[in-house]
Amino acid sequence: MSLTAPRYSGLLVVLLMVLQWAGQGIPSPVRPICDLRVLDHFIMEARDTETALRGCKAGCGVTGTFVVPLTNVDFLVWETKDIWEQAVEVQSGLSLLGQALGAVGESLSNAVMQSLITNNKSNIRSLGQVLHSLHIKRTPPQVDATIMKVSSLSELLSVHINFLRGKVRLLLKNAPVCQQSSP
Amino acid sequence: MTNDHLKKLLVYCMLCCTQKIIVQGAQTFQTKVALLRHVEPNNPKCFAEGIRDLTCFWEEDEERAGSAKQYSFIYTYQNENSSECNVTALPAAGGRILYFCRLSQTQLFVPLDIQVFRDGLLIHNRRLHIELFFLLDPPVNLTVKRTEKQGQLKASWMPPPLKYLDDSMMYEVSYVIAGTQMGQVEEVRASSEVILLGLQPGAKYSVRIRVKLDGVSYNGYWSAWTDPVLMATLPGDLDPLIVSLTLIISLILTLLSLTVLLSHRRFLLNKIWPVIPNPESKFQGLFTVYGGDFEEWLGYSAGGLCLRPAYFYSEELPAPLEVLSEVSLDLPSSPLPPKAKQAPGEDEKLKRIDSLMERWRETPHEHWLMDQLRVLHQLPGPQCSQLESQDAYVTLNAQNHSGEEPLDDILEETLPLQALFASGRTCSESHSDLGSLQQSSGSGRLSTQSSFEYPNHTWPPKGPGYTYMAVADSGVSMDYSPMSSSRIDYMGKGVIYTNEYRNEIPAHRQPIPFAF
Repeated sequence: MSLTAPRYSGLLVVLLMVLQWAGQGIPSPVRPICDLRVLDHFIMEARDTETALRGCKAGCGVTGTFVVPLTNVDFLVWETKDIWEQAVEVQSGLSLLGQALGAVGESLSNAVMQSLITNNKSNIRSLGQVLHSLHIKRTPPQVDATIMKVSSLSELLSVHINFLRGKVRLLLKNAPVCQQSSP
Repeated sequence: MTNDHLKKLLVYCMLCCTQKIIVQGAQTFQTKVALLRHVEPNNPKCFAEGIRDLTCFWEEDEERAGSAKQYSFIYTYQNENSSECNVTALPAAGGRILYFCRLSQTQLFVPLDIQVFRDGLLIHNRRLHIELFFLLDPPVNLTVKRTEKQGQLKASWMPPPLKYLDDSMMYEVSYVIAGTQMGQVEEVRASSEVILLGLQPGAKYSVRIRVKLDGVSYNGYWSAWTDPVLMATLPGDLDPLIVSLTLIISLILTLLSLTVLLSHRRFLLNKIWPVIPNPESKFQGLFTVYGGDFEEWLGYSAGGLCLRPAYFYSEELPAPLEVLSEVSLDLPSSPLPPKAKQAPGEDEKLKRIDSLMERWRETPHEHWLMDQLRVLHQLPGPQCSQLESQDAYVTLNAQNHSGEEPLDDILEETLPLQALFASGRTCSESHSDLGSLQQSSGSGRLSTQSSFEYPNHTWPPKGPGYTYMAVADSGVSMDYSPMSSSRIDYMGKGVIYTNEYRNEIPAHRQPIPFAF
């Protein structure tokens, strides 16, 4: 019987050590990002990219077909959707845009444009984290009627801008977490 | 019946309200059309008043314009089918026709293609994003208040009630001093109030505001200005430093003024209250001895005084004329020389006198009168008393007579001062002729000579140049008739002027009284 007590105490110590290590790795709750100036900043950078593209001949040599989300907002229809439907639509659209911008970046020969496109792609990932901070559940992208196809970089960037100015902004502005924290 | 009445009343009220809203809406529409006409060059000109509408319009000359049915407004969203909007026509300013189309359901954040056809022909084509063409109504309930600090005003307002757009609005606040054009414009973003700084204290400001979307997610045109609101700032407080400096400078100036005044006080006193000159030094003993009695002082100082008070009196007192005798004169019928003022005209008078003078040259009655006068003077006794009074003989001096000289009135006849105080004197004052002073009249041409004659003195004729006058007293006036013992022809070159003498002192010719 004298050998059983030291074995249990050792296990207990190891368990406590494992729990302590796990507690350090679990992320704490993220504060919601409700300031729309972040989104405005992303929108401005997307517009700068579209402006820079006008100085690029023949669309900077980008060819191909890109799947992008629809950007049109009919408020009568939009307001009939709940926040989760809106969030699904926004998240899938951001995912599609991220994939399209990633494919464009690989085929660009212009270094400046490549840098801008890369920045836009990073902004889209940041928006994902912003949506996460609003406790909007991530869902996998869906291929449905809310998408369309474009065949040029200018159309892609135009869709990018309109999507950010429209649906993404409307979602962030009407996030329940942000409605609760605002006076 | 009551319910019917209430229903009718309710319907009437609704109609009135609707009509009011329609009228206001029409005015707002006209205002926005006028705004866009100046700022938007493309056609059709489109604007969104909210997140669900779009209004597009264009204008055409009345000559080329057709009916609204001739026009087609086709709009197409990206990746969607085309749609058509009904066109409406309205008369516009300048003889033009306004055509417009209003969409009541729109999609934002997607390209919109618009095409306008007239009789199948494309006249306008345009692509736009509706969220970039907002033309909002002006803010409402603009309020301007003073703050506790000087030179500040706080302006607040209600933004246009648009969902999703409130944090994308920017405002322009214009504030000018009322009645002037000097002012500033301040931009405000995502806020419905602002504190205006750097204003003039105690000034009245006119504040107005307009709104526009910030251009990030939404954009558009500046709205119309609100009606101005007037508010005055707080009056400025006196800076303590300025007050103290002002007091110090005032004190210094006051001290300097007092110093100057005190140093020149004598001069200023003489200017403000000049000393009344005292002629006492010129009249020794007048006040100290005689107590101001000038008559007595004159009596005692007559012997030593060089000053004759003849000039104190600008006018001679009239002296009564004593009639020596009444003699009936059997004179030739020669009329007396006419008086100057009875002559009808100057020329006629001169001629008449001249003619009379001619006749008198050889008239014998002058000699007769001279004899009579001599007899009178030779009479003793009573003459003394007669002559001791204020008798005065008026003689005409022959000087400065010429026929060319016009007649002048004798302005003044002066008498020696003795004549004024001659009452009570006796004949024992046997002085020689004292008062023979020759006084000149104002004209300088005729002079009067008066003298006192004393007893035992004959009255010698004065010489060839003197003329004696016979006085005729009618009880009302006394007429002087000139006569001359000398040759009249010497006098005839000139004019003998007769003056009507009245025994009264003219009111304006009083002797000047002495006053101390």
